Amino acid sequence: MSDSPADERAETERDGEAAEGQLSRPGAERPPYVESTIIMTTVRVIAPFVLTLGVFVMFHGASSAGGGFQGGVIAATTVVMLGFAYGIEPIAAHLRNEHLALLVLGGLGAFLLVGFGAYAFGGTFLEFTLYPIHHGSKYSIELVELGIGVVVSGVITGLFFLLGTGLDSAYDADEPDTEEDR
Amino acid sequence: MSADLLVIAVLLFMLGSALAAALLRDVVTSIVAFAGYSFGAAVLWAVLRAPDVALTEAAVGAGITTVLFLLTIARTTVSRSERFEGISLRSALAVVAIVVTVGATVPALPAMGAAGTPILDGDVSQYYLDNAYDETGVTNVVTAILVGYRGFDTLGEAAVVFAAGIAMLLVLRQEEFV
Repeated sequence: MSDSPADERAETERDGEAAEGQLSRPGAERPPYVESTIIMTTVRVIAPFVLTLGVFVMFHGASSAGGGFQGGVIAATTVVMLGFAYGIEPIAAHLRNEHLALLVLGGLGAFLLVGFGAYAFGGTFLEFTLYPIHHGSKYSIELVELGIGVVVSGVITGLFFLLGTGLDSAYDADEPDTEEDR
Repeated sequence: MSADLLVIAVLLFMLGSALAAALLRDVVTSIVAFAGYSFGAAVLWAVLRAPDVALTEAAVGAGITTVLFLLTIARTTVSRSERFEGISLRSALAVVAIVVTVGATVPALPAMGAAGTPILDGDVSQYYLDNAYDETGVTNVVTAILVGYRGFDTLGEAAVVFAAGIAMLLVLRQEEFV
């Protein structure tokens, strides 16, 4: 990185003046991903905690505030943070849409399985109280929350990467000669 | 009293960020102001003792939505001509009309926490509060209702999210963004 923050700011200001009164495209002016040691280190330190918080909110929704929807979003934030710190493209290279779809399907499948499982014990759909284990109702509700969390986090991760991929490559295609600056 | 002051401060903050989000010309600034508005709403829910809603608002409204908006805006063109949006007479009239219409209904609402409102007096809320733990084994009544009593609705919600995700994969994967 050759640009110091001050230079970058001055450049942005110049760009702002140059673009006065005309249309500009933020993605085309500067690379969407800038490697920063501070952000990378911060994300590396706090990502495990955020993921733990997400899973906690997912599981503990039965006993305190929270649940699958909130916990799923918090868990998906981990992947979003990794995307910000290390660039979206390298992370997206590890993710396949089919895997995300399978994950989301698995979450919904867990919900349905718990719902239909009650038939095996002579109940009706979603009749959790019949599961013949200790606190069967509570555990099945937590399993359902986990399924919801998996669905939500999978969808949000997919949305983030589907919207985010192509930004870097679009920038490269626009200005191929700035490659060595980054 | 101090809680009232906090509520007033949060409401003023929300009003300011809402105006900033609506009036600022730079879309990125506007998105950040909108995230501030969501954050104010989350604080308000927490103060009003609705932690589940507060958690959702903070995670979805202030967090993920902002990120997705920013990603989307990075692909679009933005006008940088002025700092603030110009306000046309017609849109100002529309805003005033909406504010007056909605504001006229506010006095019809019962006071916050007033006794005798259906939510406090009704049989349904009391039934859930009395029986939720015994019937579902879950101490958080919100979760008990969401998954235990209203499990079918929640299954529908999960199915909607699932369908949206699959549709998004199908639609967005096909085309190259320009």
